[in-house]
Amino acid sequence: MIMNQRNDYHASKITGKLFYSLGFLSMLICFGTQAVFANPENNPDEVTNTIFQVTVSGTVRDSFGTPLPGANVLVQGTTTGTQTDFDGNYTINADSGATLVFSYLGFVTQTIPVDGRSTIDVTMAEDSQALDEVVVTGYTTETKRETTAAVSIVKAEELAAIPSGNVEQQLQGRVAGVTVLTNGQPGTTSQIRIRGFNALGGNAPLYVVDGVPVENTDFLNPDDIETTTVLKDAAAASIYGARAANGVVVYTTKQGSRNKKTEITLNVNSGITDPNVAGSPRMLNPQDMATWTHIAYENNAAANGTPVQYSHPQYGNQPTPRFPDFLHANGANGVFEDDVNLAAIRAAYEADPENVFLIRPNLKGTNWYKEITRPAPIFRATLGINGGNERGRFYFGFSGQEQDGIVLSQQFKRYAARFNSEWDITPWLAVGQNFQATYRSARAIFGGNGGVDVADDESEVLSAYRMPTIIPVFDEFGSYASTRAAGFNNPRNPVRRLVKNQGNDETYGIGGFGNVYLNLKPVEGLLIRSSLGGAYNNGHFVNYDFRYLGDSEPEASNAFQEGSSYNFQWVFTNSATYEKLFGKHKIKLFGGIEALNTGRGRFINGRGINPFSTSLDFQNLNVVQSPTVNSGQFKGVNFFSVFGKLDYNWDEKYYVTGVLRRDGSSRFGANSRYGTFPALSGAWRVIAEPFMQDQNFFSDLKIRGGWGEMGNSNNVAPDNQYSLYASDLGNTFYPIDGQNSGANQGFAQSRIGNPDAKWETSTTTNIGFDASFWDNHLEIILDWWQKETEDLLFQVPLAGVTGNFAAAPAVNVASMENKGVDFQVITRGNFTEDLSFEFTFNNSFLTNEITSLAPGIDFINGPGYRGINPIRNSVGNPISSFFGYKVIGYFNSQAEVDSSPPQDGKGLGRFRYEDVNGDGAITPDDRTFLGSAVPDYTGGATLLFRYKNLEFETYWYASLGNEIFNMSKWFTDFFGTFEGSAKGEVAKRSWTPELGNSAAAPIWESASNISTSGAENSWYVEDGSFLRLQRLAFAYSFDPNLLDSWGLSRFKIGISANNLWTITNYSGLDPVVAGPDTNFGIDVGNFPVTPQYLVSLELGL
Amino acid sequence: MMALLIVSVSCSDEFLEVTPTGSLSDASVSTKDGIEALLIGTYAAVNGVFGNRFEGPNHWATGSIMGGEANKGTDAGDYTSLNPIQRYETDPTNGDLNSLWRGRYEGVSRANKVLAALAAATDVPAADATRIEGEARTLRAHFYFDLKKHFNSIPYFDETVLAADIPSIPNSPDVWSQIEADFRWAYDNMPAVTSAGRVNKWAAAAYLAKAHLYQKEYAEAKTIFDDVIANGVTSNGLAYQLLDNYPQIYNAENDNHAESVFDVESANNTGNVQNANAFDDLNYPYNTGPDGPGNCCGFFQPSFELANSFRTSGGLPLLDGSYNDPANAVDNDFGLESDDPFTEDAGPLDPRIDWSIGRRGIPYLDWIEHPGKAWIRSQPYAGPYSPKKYIYYRSQENTFTDGSSWTRGYATMNYTIIRFADVLLMAAEAEIEAGSLEQARTYVNMVRARAANPDYWVKEYDDPNQNAANYDIAEYTAVDFGDKAKATEIVRFERKLELSGEGHRFFDLVRWGVAADVLNDYLDHEAQFLVTKFGGANFTAGKSEFYPIPQAQIDIQGSDVLTQNPGY
Repeated sequence: MIMNQRNDYHASKITGKLFYSLGFLSMLICFGTQAVFANPENNPDEVTNTIFQVTVSGTVRDSFGTPLPGANVLVQGTTTGTQTDFDGNYTINADSGATLVFSYLGFVTQTIPVDGRSTIDVTMAEDSQALDEVVVTGYTTETKRETTAAVSIVKAEELAAIPSGNVEQQLQGRVAGVTVLTNGQPGTTSQIRIRGFNALGGNAPLYVVDGVPVENTDFLNPDDIETTTVLKDAAAASIYGARAANGVVVYTTKQGSRNKKTEITLNVNSGITDPNVAGSPRMLNPQDMATWTHIAYENNAAANGTPVQYSHPQYGNQPTPRFPDFLHANGANGVFEDDVNLAAIRAAYEADPENVFLIRPNLKGTNWYKEITRPAPIFRATLGINGGNERGRFYFGFSGQEQDGIVLSQQFKRYAARFNSEWDITPWLAVGQNFQATYRSARAIFGGNGGVDVADDESEVLSAYRMPTIIPVFDEFGSYASTRAAGFNNPRNPVRRLVKNQGNDETYGIGGFGNVYLNLKPVEGLLIRSSLGGAYNNGHFVNYDFRYLGDSEPEASNAFQEGSSYNFQWVFTNSATYEKLFGKHKIKLFGGIEALNTGRGRFINGRGINPFSTSLDFQNLNVVQSPTVNSGQFKGVNFFSVFGKLDYNWDEKYYVTGVLRRDGSSRFGANSRYGTFPALSGAWRVIAEPFMQDQNFFSDLKIRGGWGEMGNSNNVAPDNQYSLYASDLGNTFYPIDGQNSGANQGFAQSRIGNPDAKWETSTTTNIGFDASFWDNHLEIILDWWQKETEDLLFQVPLAGVTGNFAAAPAVNVASMENKGVDFQVITRGNFTEDLSFEFTFNNSFLTNEITSLAPGIDFINGPGYRGINPIRNSVGNPISSFFGYKVIGYFNSQAEVDSSPPQDGKGLGRFRYEDVNGDGAITPDDRTFLGSAVPDYTGGATLLFRYKNLEFETYWYASLGNEIFNMSKWFTDFFGTFEGSAKGEVAKRSWTPELGNSAAAPIWESASNISTSGAENSWYVEDGSFLRLQRLAFAYSFDPNLLDSWGLSRFKIGISANNLWTITNYSGLDPVVAGPDTNFGIDVGNFPVTPQYLVSLELGL
Repeated sequence: MMALLIVSVSCSDEFLEVTPTGSLSDASVSTKDGIEALLIGTYAAVNGVFGNRFEGPNHWATGSIMGGEANKGTDAGDYTSLNPIQRYETDPTNGDLNSLWRGRYEGVSRANKVLAALAAATDVPAADATRIEGEARTLRAHFYFDLKKHFNSIPYFDETVLAADIPSIPNSPDVWSQIEADFRWAYDNMPAVTSAGRVNKWAAAAYLAKAHLYQKEYAEAKTIFDDVIANGVTSNGLAYQLLDNYPQIYNAENDNHAESVFDVESANNTGNVQNANAFDDLNYPYNTGPDGPGNCCGFFQPSFELANSFRTSGGLPLLDGSYNDPANAVDNDFGLESDDPFTEDAGPLDPRIDWSIGRRGIPYLDWIEHPGKAWIRSQPYAGPYSPKKYIYYRSQENTFTDGSSWTRGYATMNYTIIRFADVLLMAAEAEIEAGSLEQARTYVNMVRARAANPDYWVKEYDDPNQNAANYDIAEYTAVDFGDKAKATEIVRFERKLELSGEGHRFFDLVRWGVAADVLNDYLDHEAQFLVTKFGGANFTAGKSEFYPIPQAQIDIQGSDVLTQNPGY
């Protein structure tokens, strides 16, 4: 009791303060109050009715006049109800004074008083883009009508349609302004960028699930998601302040509905992913490979002026290559039956099976891509139960997804159980919770950042293109065959690697995620909410690698590794919303305070080699040699934030919204820990003006504008402010006593601190309009936006002289600019009563430019790939720009070689570079910008046809103006790169005097220098634009009358095909190439997205 | 709820302090134990920091390949950034050189940190302080010496320079006096015995003399060499002497032997193969399977020129250069398949050839007889030979190697930065300049006499009494050392034979001022066989003697601070 009094005292004090500080607000309220009292409608006349029963009938149609079968008709306040029949007709008995409630999924519910009528025809308005659609912004909700900001909503069914392992993938093309780069690994993370690239790293958006900010959403089951809102500009996102600069994706999960009978739904998706073997790059078959090996020898001799030496260990030393009977026979290479004592080799094999190989050539040619891939099944089922009574609501979801990757051993599994509920304790107090328990395992996912960076690595997919086609998968003894056979350089049999080294690995995580909350409504219009959320994850992995001696560079040891980790994060949010209408003035005041930790935990893992037995049952860390253990702990980052928002509108015509948020983060030192981020936006609903009432052209028109600042701190290490010393096994340990085993601990400076780092700030301006024409038959939403990010935090490369082992501090120096236009066009209509269509077209135009780096630093180079350095992030260019020599052709004659400017390694048929700086010599200074991975345009188009109960949907996605640096060509398109390994059919179009500049590759030869394979140049840079038929689907919904007789409320079946067709000039496997922010678009060995065929089933009970 | 809000606000400053994990603050390393650990961290930088094989202390690329003792090996398309380097076409954007620069300056920075912390610490006993200072200064001078001999013109700074001021220090060739001062301090103050893995007084002394030698200050060098040769002991207390058995210098089981003046320690079971000889992991024969060491990659193949240099006549090398004549050149299996018949060279050879070069038909340590082309990745590209020094034995697999990474090629034998034979041969140079040709001859003959012990020559596997080749080595007579010019030739040639593959040759050629002549001859000779690799290559006098200052560093510090070396 005493506590309460104290609280009240504080509360009134605070409230008072708030009022004085917001004088403007109190003025509005006073004004509003007067208006309320002046409104005569607040005293309606009493009406007396005589009550009698009537039978009401009618037809329910949509706005195009199409009958709606299966619409619900309910007598308000009773349980009396019916559904419309196949022609949209209904009949119901009701009191003459009753009110009928018409509802239908996807349409605005209507309540119509009977007023004694016996016929009531109803036209339902579409709800999907309707103005009263609720926009969930995380902390609060508002209607579409009220929104002053750039916000996009993704329909739940769009997210669920394609059962990817990670729901974020499905944002691709569904939202104007969102770029999604993904790959074909099941359960991979994707590169999601909302409105461009703001920083030199850490550009992922903030995800908020049921009010809990999370780093990724791979645990979510798309069937559990109710709403997805993408907050794009500052006006929308800045309520998330310091973490919102990259945009926010807000998910809410299904909640059930009050006063609704319990419904059970079952959604099943099942299908298969096809590896698209036919679409894989063409490699030389064994005969062609031999022929072109000899052509290379001839070219070498010609270039060097020496006699031709045919010196391949398999193809013989005559001009015409021959094929031996055995590529390898226990040490002998390129031998014939007569020279081989098979019995002796078999005996040797039996004595030492690991080390004796007998490999016949596969003269038909092994298609290694085909060997490492398979048609991969995918299955997802979700059982949902939702319902509610007058005091509460609930949703339970149980789901399982199992998906194999098209690449051997890749496997994704997720089982989830979700329990959401909300119950009233008293009329003014409700408690609720959302909780999900998840088991998730993703096996053999390659690439950093959860798989995003896979294209950057020399993966097993690349191995498939490096392994000669003449080598069979297995040798004569059934062992894996490989490059122990001489003459094929160093590729490793990727089938063996995938099956043996990945096939038994296990990686899984078990986690709990959710929140509990309290909603308090002490007085009308005031909602106080307190929410405590969090996530706990526990993971374990086991990794087996097996010794294998059949490669030219064998894997030396059996290795075993396992590890565990846990991670706990939490967020505590308290907020209050006050909403009131004073006549034509509506205000909504929101304030909140939040504290969170991004996750603390520990990890431990160990590894060792050569256990006595390689049995999976035997291996653990106790039975390996040289076991080493790594462990560590992390504490996460703490954030503390206070925020407020004021929405005001007058007569639903003029809207103003102001947002202010102040954030503190433990990433920054005490000097600059807090950042304050304001935003202001407004809208004018022109359609509500009197002068718009007498026209039929516009059915809605709203003009919006907003400005705001948002922060970002993703690209900063949590301990950036500290100068630290640390040990590193490889770099600071030393056997100081001269021992041959083990080393002594040493230290070195590991981090140079910057206590003055502060928030990055993005300033966004957004101007847009929402317009509908001809009774909503056409809708256009257009936003022009500009985003300038300043004080970009990045680790300015330190001069080598200062010692580069220590991590450089992130400092606020650089700036970046993104500009773009997002627009969405929706048009709908019907050709006949039965045939209607809906067309949705999302478009995003983007330009990105680094406007400054550190003082004195004009560029930062990206990493090298086999001596090729394709990336330069530089002022005046987009992030991840390609940089290198510009190929102007080949040297087509000796005269051309002799007369051209000096260029190292120049020669007939080699790359001829442009003398960009005109100094008469080709030097590194002639390298120039060759394109960028940032697309100019991305867009998605959905076309939906409905014919009676049949639905047809097709969805296309396009990306234009992005370049790809096709690094995989370095391996396959030069004879001299790992000479002997597999080469592409491009060999046949390599330079000859006849082909000249139309050749697809330089002359086929061994040499490697900057005029051949030794330098980054424009030959690797390809146009990555593409148009993809992402989805083609048919669905049939059974007639409600029929369903009634089956006791079902919904029954829909569908078939669909995804990623069916891609139009692109890109020569690699897949033009969607992700990667780290400052060096993406480099394709070393991407895992392609390939066609998928599905059947789906939706059942409601 | 409002109360809660207030409470949280007041707590928030504390809430937003999250201390780092797994690391230490400045204060915790500024104690005696901390400084000792920083010193160990400084030693750890000797074999490189950034995982680049160029950073290896043995300079297999920048010293040996560039010195003409070996070529890159392997094939044209592997590690392509080495292709221009071996052809003296290095450009400043080469990332390997940038790693070398950064790695050595990281070493400097660690040594400076030790010295700065030591100056501030109060709990270090005087004797320990002297030892620590001596070690740190010796290591710092070692890093600078390394930078000096690669890049010539370098920024120099010591522990008193503020971190913020370091990037504005210009590069200059005048850094010898500072390098000498550090070695001198350690020579004058350090104890003779420290521990096996550390440097000591005598390592500093030998290095100081070497610094003088590089500056042609022969008298200063000789004085110190005399002291080292007469009184020097290893850091674990063994009087310096040549081992009887030449290959035992390169055997992990014999690490920290009496010939090692300054060793880089190498070990397995440390949790990271960087502590084994990671810089050498590619430098093994190719495709050997379990019959040979490493798994990979066929790099660092000795040159024709080096092999031929081992030709002897009357037990002495052919100093007139005629060893490359077709009549004298060592018979090899270039152009032959492993199953083609091949007759091994029957002529007289210095026995050290078969401890230095893997060649067909000769037992390859305790593995198998080198099978020729089967162990060569691309014979037409890189020639017929395999590396053989610093190769581990079959019997040492997993006991003196670290098998925990992708190749077996992480050996744990120490690389010897300065060994006693090197000291003797450097002293011989100083003696010649001092006019004492006879003393020079004595030193050279000490080295040759050890190699001449037939007990330790390579023997056939099937007959321990049968030499693997026709070895013939003799000591020089006083007549051979009759004049200074010839004596100089002899000493220089002896360095080539004795120290081949140990990373000294290029720097020796440059300091002798003969690099352009010798290396252009070498290129001409090798290009007859390795056309793709060396055709048209040329050493440019006045340029190629030094490596370019890494462009990446000029980009960061500005061309007003770092001046590029001539010719780049």
